[in-house]
Amino acid sequence: MNVLNYLRFSTGALLAMIALIVVGNSAQGQETFPVNGTVNKQLVRTALEHATVHVSATEIIEDATVVIYRGRIEAVGASMTTVPMEPAVHHDMSGLHLYPSFVDVHSSYAMPKAQREEWTRGPQDLSDKKGAFGWNEAIRPETNAAMYFDPVEAEKARVALQKAGFGAVLTHVQDGIVRGTGALVALSEDPRKALLIPEASAHFSFRKGTSSQDYPRSLMGATALLKQTHFDADWYADASRLNERLESNLSLEAFNAQRDLPAFFEAGGWEDALRATDVAEEVNRTEPFILVAGNNVYQRLEEVKATGAALVLSVNHPKPFDVSDPHLSRLIGLDELKHWEMAPSNAARVHQLGISFAITTDGLQQPKELRKAVQVAIRNGLPADVALAALTEVPAKMVHAEDRVGSLRAGLEANILVTDGPVFDSDAQWMEHWIQGEQNVYVDRNALDIRGDYDVTLEDQVLALTVEGERDAPRGHFTLDSTKFKVKLDQDGRTLTLGFQLDTLGIDGWWRATGNAWSDSRIWEGKGQRADGTWFDWSAIRQETEMAMAEASPSAEQQDTIVGKVIFPFTAYGNEVRPNARTVWFENATIWTCEESGILEGADLVLHAGEILAVGVGLDPNAVFGSNPPEYETIDARGKHITPGIIDEHTHIAATRGINEGTQASSAEVSIETAVNSEDVNIYRQLAGGVTTAQILHGSANPIGGQSAIIKFRWGASPQGLIFEGAPSFIKFALGENVKQSNWGNNYRSRFPQTRMGVEQVYFDHFYRAREYEQAWKDHEKMLRNSSRRSRRSNLLSAAPRRDLELETLAQILRSERFVTCHSYRQDEINMLMHVADSMGFTINTFTHILEGYKVADKMAEHGAGGSSFSDWWAYKYEVKDAIPYNGAVLHGQGIVTAFNSDDAEMARRLNQEAAKAVKYGGVSEEEALKFVTLNPAKLLGIDHMVGSIEVGKHADVVLWDEHPLSVYARPEQTYVDGVKYFDLQADLEKREWMRSERARLTQAMKTGGSSAGPPRPPTEKLKTHYHCETLTDENR
Amino acid sequence: MNCKLIITFLVSAAFMTKGFCQPTPGSEQTEAVLIIGGIAHLGTGDVLENSAIGFRNGKIDYVGNARSVDRARYDEVIEAKGQHIYPGFIAPNSTLGLQEIGAVRATRDDAEVGTFKPHVRSIIAFNTDSEVTPTVRTNGVLMGQITPRGGTISGSSSFVHFDGWNWEDAALRTVDGIHLNWPSTHHRHRQDGSVDIRKRKTYDQQYQEIQHFFEEAKAYEAHKFQPATSPRDLRMESMRGLFDGSLRLFVHAEDVRQITEAVHFKRKMGVAHLVIVGGYDAPLVADLLRDNEVAVMVKRVHTLPRFAEDDVDMPYRLPKLLEDEGVLYCLQNAGDMEHMGTRNLPFYAGTAHAYGLTYEQAVKSITLSAARILGVDDFCGSLENGKDATLFISEGDALDMRTNYLTQAFIQGRTIDLDNRQRQLYRKYQTKYGAPILD
Repeated sequence: MNVLNYLRFSTGALLAMIALIVVGNSAQGQETFPVNGTVNKQLVRTALEHATVHVSATEIIEDATVVIYRGRIEAVGASMTTVPMEPAVHHDMSGLHLYPSFVDVHSSYAMPKAQREEWTRGPQDLSDKKGAFGWNEAIRPETNAAMYFDPVEAEKARVALQKAGFGAVLTHVQDGIVRGTGALVALSEDPRKALLIPEASAHFSFRKGTSSQDYPRSLMGATALLKQTHFDADWYADASRLNERLESNLSLEAFNAQRDLPAFFEAGGWEDALRATDVAEEVNRTEPFILVAGNNVYQRLEEVKATGAALVLSVNHPKPFDVSDPHLSRLIGLDELKHWEMAPSNAARVHQLGISFAITTDGLQQPKELRKAVQVAIRNGLPADVALAALTEVPAKMVHAEDRVGSLRAGLEANILVTDGPVFDSDAQWMEHWIQGEQNVYVDRNALDIRGDYDVTLEDQVLALTVEGERDAPRGHFTLDSTKFKVKLDQDGRTLTLGFQLDTLGIDGWWRATGNAWSDSRIWEGKGQRADGTWFDWSAIRQETEMAMAEASPSAEQQDTIVGKVIFPFTAYGNEVRPNARTVWFENATIWTCEESGILEGADLVLHAGEILAVGVGLDPNAVFGSNPPEYETIDARGKHITPGIIDEHTHIAATRGINEGTQASSAEVSIETAVNSEDVNIYRQLAGGVTTAQILHGSANPIGGQSAIIKFRWGASPQGLIFEGAPSFIKFALGENVKQSNWGNNYRSRFPQTRMGVEQVYFDHFYRAREYEQAWKDHEKMLRNSSRRSRRSNLLSAAPRRDLELETLAQILRSERFVTCHSYRQDEINMLMHVADSMGFTINTFTHILEGYKVADKMAEHGAGGSSFSDWWAYKYEVKDAIPYNGAVLHGQGIVTAFNSDDAEMARRLNQEAAKAVKYGGVSEEEALKFVTLNPAKLLGIDHMVGSIEVGKHADVVLWDEHPLSVYARPEQTYVDGVKYFDLQADLEKREWMRSERARLTQAMKTGGSSAGPPRPPTEKLKTHYHCETLTDENR
Repeated sequence: MNCKLIITFLVSAAFMTKGFCQPTPGSEQTEAVLIIGGIAHLGTGDVLENSAIGFRNGKIDYVGNARSVDRARYDEVIEAKGQHIYPGFIAPNSTLGLQEIGAVRATRDDAEVGTFKPHVRSIIAFNTDSEVTPTVRTNGVLMGQITPRGGTISGSSSFVHFDGWNWEDAALRTVDGIHLNWPSTHHRHRQDGSVDIRKRKTYDQQYQEIQHFFEEAKAYEAHKFQPATSPRDLRMESMRGLFDGSLRLFVHAEDVRQITEAVHFKRKMGVAHLVIVGGYDAPLVADLLRDNEVAVMVKRVHTLPRFAEDDVDMPYRLPKLLEDEGVLYCLQNAGDMEHMGTRNLPFYAGTAHAYGLTYEQAVKSITLSAARILGVDDFCGSLENGKDATLFISEGDALDMRTNYLTQAFIQGRTIDLDNRQRQLYRKYQTKYGAPILD
């Protein structure tokens, strides 16, 4: 770029300089290279003078100078006192603002494009990467962004980022769960100069990316893999140090080498952000992950704040939907509509809560959208200086690079954005962008501005000419008696060309004129050619009237009001206000206690402080509350029934991105607790069916599945807030057709086991390994105890065994600290598993499905197993050919704790009816049948001391029914969890009405532009998968 | 229950020696039977307390009050005081007998390959020896429309009772209609690892294909080929009945646009009878359906709402919404686990009652209304003189699983055996454990 044209050299002598830091030799990036030709010694400085310098978002110096020397800022200060050492090129920046260039910490700039390998038939168990790397392709810590960094090829991306205001980015290969190191690079072309910090950061996600390997197929698998990698690396470091390591693993070496780098986690939203933080805590990372958290953090601000993590936010405000077809618009969820309204205020809300954040271009289709998007965020309540900080010093600090980029201070890279007004004002022009001292001009600040009104003298006539439009693309027209005549006007520097046709004035045909502008475009003059080819002279004089202002664009001013209210959860039927536990007195109800007291007629029930305070006939308030009764609500329950809340022993709702890891015969290391979805509307639908507690189970794709989450239906709580505190730990096992992949097609014939015979050996093998694993730890701990203090202190002891999450989980089973719920159908394999358990010294807690349980009920009773069955499912696969609806009754008759479960989001809404089928098929008494879905599943889950019956001191989890609870006609009127009324028939009607009006309001707002306008997108519906045991899609790309 | 206990012990003793076998079809009715004293739910929307229902030679010949019937005219009188009598429940749009075990391909005959296959007939694949069907009868479902699946036109359905030695004598209508799966207006769109549902771009093209097929069928029908001498197109032949009114067109459609276009399509093509199967959105276009005499086989009552914001109980209330709008409708149970789940059809009606229908309307929705929609109400669907004696007696309310317990059932007057393989297995293992048989 030739900038000499409009520079003036200062020949002034050297003046005193203040605040000048001499930059050392290191500024010359290619010091070591041989030179072809003459050396450029870079002796000339650049001074940007008389500018408004924004040293940082909050520190501003008026009439200031920035001195640039060898690509860096040498000095910054008031122009009066900051004078560059000569020789220097001086730029008069009067009226202009200098800002530090933006920094984006989540970028894949100048990185190779991650490409997925071609799909191969059948499963892939291990990494097919060649070399001494780890076993899983999604763990790629050896990926070093600096090694791939190729800015020459990335010119287009670089120019786009520069134009969007960026001077430096933290770039990494966005592929995999452990992604390796990121490099901080300036947006200039020479890689040696641009590479600021080669290994600046480490990057993580839960997405496996291009890996062609099967594991992990689920979010919970990815979570477990990430944890296990940390433990593997711990062990590797320890064993290496003690020279006990028998294998080399370059992935783990790389992982350990980057432990102290700032760690960024690509979460994409609050959901994974919370999960990532949980992982960081469990693996004892010293710092929480920096969370690249998308644009929805406003939905769970408190929880995100509690992580203490810094955030990187996207400003990809959702486009409005095309809502012109009211039928088609039903596809758009209320959550999507509200998100459209509220996402623009995401950053403002995050800021209000005092959470530190950076802004990234990630999520935008093109970097150039950033400026407008930030303006929208500002209009939606984000202070402009906070926005600026989020694009400059905050991201710089995140990568410990505040001494390199992010502000205009001496010593930093000369990355300077030049504007003619406050950077986010809509009418401010971004004029220039200096990157590492190299100038990029967008608007020539010395260019002629020819816009204005002129009197043009043409032959003997004077015509009024108006020139308007963009400064660098002016348009013109003559005006005669208020009629406009178009002029073709071109400007090339000082040279102007006009073409026109004015037949009414006797100017026949197409006349052309060319000439020059003089005296700041006050005078134009030149020659022209008539239509007949003869020449004429012309001139123009600018009129001194004020130029009409360009149409005012929407103001970028911060607004005080933030529109939209968060609902908990952020989906249909969410609440604006989270409900609280209340004190409730039910009078004259039929109460099914599920205790020895049986069914109480005309009885009272009192809920208080989340617990059952009293139950019985003719309760007396004084006796119940004592002398100081709280305020309470009385509910006339005459003719109505109250039962304990229904407990579903087996469900797959409220889980996200896969309930089956299933890629290996054992996935004991994975846990549904890491994949709980609190925003699943099925929680509410099932509350409407009286369900208050459920076990979310891993699927049945492998013999040893994953750990369960036992949740309470606290509608609106966060994923962690749903977890049932104090419930024992469970794991899913599975037998039969699913685990031997019988119905998976011909591509799945290689994973062991493929027969029931193999399944038994899987168990033996794993339990022996778990036993040995536990012994190894015991031996290690014993050795520690017996070792001398000196040997401990000087680290002479052998390394600790590798912590193995899978074997650790299995060892818990052997110690009866974790309990098994086993998916099972056929009697032979049920029998087999009980033998395996007996031989290992533990008990199978629950057989779930257990459709042939009736054939081995005596053996189950002897072993001590419980059963949780379907009431009447059968004939869907070969192994359920002998399933009978009498199964529950037979099991119960043999003294087995028997439950009915759903495994189905719809059936779970009617588990009371399923219980009634135990009366129909096999004549179980009604009182006992109700226990199939209340007390018995509570027993099976080991929570019967807290829930499952109506007993003083137990949790206030109860359902008020309008009818006999085993009848098909019964409807829950109210459902309580922990004394909080989460479902109420009346409130439900009000919610429907509220949703209708909220949707109507948002639809109208979308029509008028609302908080974020733009071309509408077609109505779409986010797919929500309903999981069954057998759901197997890979959900973790 | 005690009495039940004794009966079943006797029955079990009788069956124990036989091993497993499907129940033997009943023998022709030779003696006239009168059921007296029970609560008769006629299927028409009416109920008779202390009723008398008489039938001979397989046909109902008396429906009235117990006090005014002439008992002497009947050979056998069944006292049913306090019990409930219903016309046999009808399961429309069912794959019973077409599939045995869902996951075992060899046992599935419900979906033929191809797009337009109206000539494919379900009746010849209806397996009267299915082990599933007896378990369905046990709960009162005695007749069904056996319906093929898959493709755009799945094939022809048939109407059968559940007491045949083979499909020939099970058939009540060998072909009763043609099933068209209306193209969906939406599709799943995958992008950047996430899936969303949006408007389908190929919808118009698929619509054209259907229209083209029907236009050809209509032209073929009008031309009247001479069967002996002309070349014959089996697909076109099978479509004839749609235009002369002898067959019904069953269009499987859920959303409002599908339903609306199907109704317009009916008019445009001159199709005599149209039935919408599914029809989740039917209440939104109830006027259109009523004005065009289009009936609806309502989506399975026990399903989840389509959209998160939909009323939690929307599928439960669909029958009531259609009832209020005056649209002719009946229940059906297509979906997951459909063939074995047919035995829960009575309970879908129970739920529909809990969510708005009167009790007798709920009964009607699985009896007479179903028969009307299938065009078989001239001989079944209600307890009315002259109709087939296909009916049953339940100890209690048959729409509630808490009380549904059949004591006797008749198909065309034949007493049917209510035993099934599942009951046999129950008795076998209770006997093993020495436990009481409470069934």
